[in-house]
Amino acid sequence: MKLCIFEDGRFSDLYPLTYTRPVFDLRCGRTKLYEKIMRNFQGVGATFFMRGHLGPVFRDRLEGAVNELDALRGDDVLFVNGRVLAWRGAIRPPGDEVAAIRGDEIAYVYAKRETVSKLIGSSIDDLLDRLRAQLSQLSIDADLVGHPWDLVRNNPKAIVDDFESIGRRGILGKMSPKAEIYGDAEKVHVAETAEIHPFVVLDTHSGPIMIDEKTKVLPFSRIEGPCSIGSESTIVRGNVREEVSIGPVCRIGGEIEASIIHGYSNKYHTGFLGHAYVGEWVNIGALTTNSDLKNDYSNVEVYVNGNLYDTGDTKVGSFIGDHTKLGIGCLLNTGTIVGVGCNLLGGEVLPKYIPSFAWFTRGRISRGSGLRRTVEAERRVMSRRGVEMSQSYVQMLQHIYDVTKEERENLIKRSKGRAIPEA
Amino acid sequence: MSNNGVEARVRKIIAEQFGVKPESLNRETSFMKDLMAESIDTVELIAALEEEFDVEIPDEDAEKNQTVGQAIDYMSKKVTQKGH
Repeated sequence: MKLCIFEDGRFSDLYPLTYTRPVFDLRCGRTKLYEKIMRNFQGVGATFFMRGHLGPVFRDRLEGAVNELDALRGDDVLFVNGRVLAWRGAIRPPGDEVAAIRGDEIAYVYAKRETVSKLIGSSIDDLLDRLRAQLSQLSIDADLVGHPWDLVRNNPKAIVDDFESIGRRGILGKMSPKAEIYGDAEKVHVAETAEIHPFVVLDTHSGPIMIDEKTKVLPFSRIEGPCSIGSESTIVRGNVREEVSIGPVCRIGGEIEASIIHGYSNKYHTGFLGHAYVGEWVNIGALTTNSDLKNDYSNVEVYVNGNLYDTGDTKVGSFIGDHTKLGIGCLLNTGTIVGVGCNLLGGEVLPKYIPSFAWFTRGRISRGSGLRRTVEAERRVMSRRGVEMSQSYVQMLQHIYDVTKEERENLIKRSKGRAIPEA
Repeated sequence: MSNNGVEARVRKIIAEQFGVKPESLNRETSFMKDLMAESIDTVELIAALEEEFDVEIPDEDAEKNQTVGQAIDYMSKKVTQKGH
């Protein structure tokens, strides 16, 4: 059997996080969505389908063919929607051909080799439409990520699921005798090359804590489970409250609660981050803080891709795209969306929607330094962590810059109208 | 494009960047002394001019333009070069 992990048409409901990655590359818990799918099928190779501008970038990152229909020939195929939260054992290898549907969305499709060969056409969307029409349908109760806040909402469950999956327990790395596990020590995994310095508390009363390879937790940090901290990260005097997932190569300090930091991002200093999802290569300056609860305790509403959604939740923070920089003292309102490659200066509450590659300075949105200089700066940022920005990555950023131009220009015009008084 | 056309567009962009009326700018208006330009203004202004005229302005060139008149002359030259 082969696996096929695909993006469906709802990728834009997860903007800005999915401008720079396919939906199944999003993190929830310790792992990304595609990693959860694949670990249900150990040893089975996968083919991935995503939007064209992402293909060249992710061809270098993923093990498996990317956007190649012919790779699906020659074997039975399990097609899994990349937005599925594949909890351990949630997707069982089916025996008969079936299209498993949640609501009106495909969760997964299992098809025999002959059926795939017969129905394969010019695109993955065509193929899935034909399979859905031809195969018997099964209504199932799967979890599919619909919006960015769904990732945050499911994060605690995902951390626990990941902890059970890794199957390892205990302090395998260095833990100072002056550090303390407060709660069940069986709910901790500290990897072989991780370090827990003196005066650190790991509180497992509410869930497990995973600390990955080469990660350091520096003195006076307190970490509450459920929590996952990825490899080569550093926690600097962090008050890491419950339900936090931090990806690899991050530097995290201050207060953080119920949030996901994708990886390669910094929030080094004091300031609160709650119920948020932060992309890659983001820097959050000192004292920058987001609200995750409105003063009237009503549901938080969020603008995504031009639509205003009631999240149905009273606790929702910010969603920040890759390569965005927040200066000192930025104040982000509940449910704020910040696009890719933005530069925000603080001192006041920011607008709830900042389009990609925009700057917010002195009360107005502007074009900032433009794409070329942003790319140059981000190339320097990435090289500091030993990552080279490829030409295909530059082209991906150019594509995002182009497709977000209209909304950016519209908001710049509106912003000018507000900020510059008529003489 | 006439020099006047370029001049009007450069003036408009500078005025928008600094929140002043285009007619309040003269050739001697200094970005630093008169408009109190900060590094953010400079970066934004260069990007806006690059986008408006579809040209690339190297940092070392940008540093030489300290007044509105110098910026107008520089952009006129760049547009002429681009036209050839």
